[in-house]
Amino acid sequence: MIIEQLDKPLPGSLMPTLAGGYYTDPNVFAAEQERIFEESWFCVLHGSDIEKPGDYKLVEVGREQLIVSRNRKREVRAFFNVCRHRGMRVCTETEGSRRNFQCGYHAWTYDLDGKLIAAPNLTKMPDIDRDDYGLRKVHVREWLGYVWVCVAEQPPSFEETVLSEIVTRLGEVESIDHYQIDTLKIGKRICYEVEANWKLIIENFMECYHCATIHPELTEVIPEFAQGWAAQTNTGLGAEFGEDIKGFTVDGSAGVGELPLIAPNQDRRYFAITIRPNVFINLVPDHIIIHRMFPTSESHTYVECDWLFLPEVVDAGTDVSKSVELFDRVNLQDFDACEKTQPSMASRIYRDGGALVPAEHHIVPFHDWLKAELNA
Amino acid sequence: MLRICSLSELVEDEGVRFDTVTPPIAVFLTSAGEVYAIDDTCTHQDASLAEGWVEDCRVECPLHASTFSLLTGDVDSPPARRGVRAHRIEVVGDDVYVQLSALAPNLPPGVEY
Repeated sequence: MIIEQLDKPLPGSLMPTLAGGYYTDPNVFAAEQERIFEESWFCVLHGSDIEKPGDYKLVEVGREQLIVSRNRKREVRAFFNVCRHRGMRVCTETEGSRRNFQCGYHAWTYDLDGKLIAAPNLTKMPDIDRDDYGLRKVHVREWLGYVWVCVAEQPPSFEETVLSEIVTRLGEVESIDHYQIDTLKIGKRICYEVEANWKLIIENFMECYHCATIHPELTEVIPEFAQGWAAQTNTGLGAEFGEDIKGFTVDGSAGVGELPLIAPNQDRRYFAITIRPNVFINLVPDHIIIHRMFPTSESHTYVECDWLFLPEVVDAGTDVSKSVELFDRVNLQDFDACEKTQPSMASRIYRDGGALVPAEHHIVPFHDWLKAELNA
Repeated sequence: MLRICSLSELVEDEGVRFDTVTPPIAVFLTSAGEVYAIDDTCTHQDASLAEGWVEDCRVECPLHASTFSLLTGDVDSPPARRGVRAHRIEVVGDDVYVQLSALAPNLPPGVEY
């Protein structure tokens, strides 16, 4: 890595950000793909995206394209989308439902567990080990109803990475269990193409110094955000709704059915968790908002955002538009800010970076983590 | 009749290829608990039907998706044009016996046993 950071803190209240090149240099992005996205547990899709055996979706993790699917026993499986014969993409449509995965080049055919089951003349080549030449598997975990994958040969501990972020923010993993997220249904999904580096989006999500300026609706619902301190600066406290606010909606009106097992100190509060490198979790009493980011280049990030509600709320066709609209607006406001920040990252004025005020100092550990991963 | 395997070797909705007979046969256990046997080799190109997707008493060839009846061996649609032979099965306790068809097998071009 050729980009040098300021070694000493800026005088007084300010601490340094990353240098501009971290957001614009393709070499930095390539290193992030290799050392972060391809070494982490990466949340790729919701279990309901691949509901039945044989349903699959293609996802991109780092430089790799993966097939994420269910086998005949409904267990989740993920494979590198690379034919073991001559390397063609085995699946070429972004999603679908298959009884097996057949390469369109020479018809090497793999079952839903990845085993090589057929190929022209395969029975004449009994020395080919069907498992050794099966689709290469990717490590898979299911948590919160989502599928998490790791393309590394040796994945990091899920507990020490993903779950420890929950502990950092909520105090204990059990606190998130009260929301029973794995039982909820997606009421709305909105996808965003953001012309900004993924780290700008994470840094934006972590702090609330911008809230009073760009998020009028959110600050109306959570007045304390006007002070600039994000819910991510504390542990286990979250941020409280305003007195007159009935629910986490665009106009502060009542939400929908409250999640039944949340604790008293989770009522009328908003909690936010960043799970590095690609997930944001937002908890409110009646729904959950989960962002999954897919960084595609140093200046582009694809974001999928799900709003999850009680199954009966979704099944009944309940109008959740006021709940959805609040955070959709927040997303659009945030992504607009990130997109207007991205071009300046290449300016000579930002060569050595900018500054973080005290309400943003908790972003420094994110930068420290990033640099440690890149230098590991 | 010939004892081909034990019932416990079979897995629901899956086929098993046995090359202890010539040409090899595929034995299937359906979700309804029935056992069937047909020739294992697709009549279109050399592929093992035991590896195919089993549903509604038919198996889909893993290579080009023609499906064959587990009961009669009849084929539904191209590229395979001829059916495979079906063999009579009898299950006694855990033992699976087969009576091989007396008909000539419909092997694909270039495949001989």
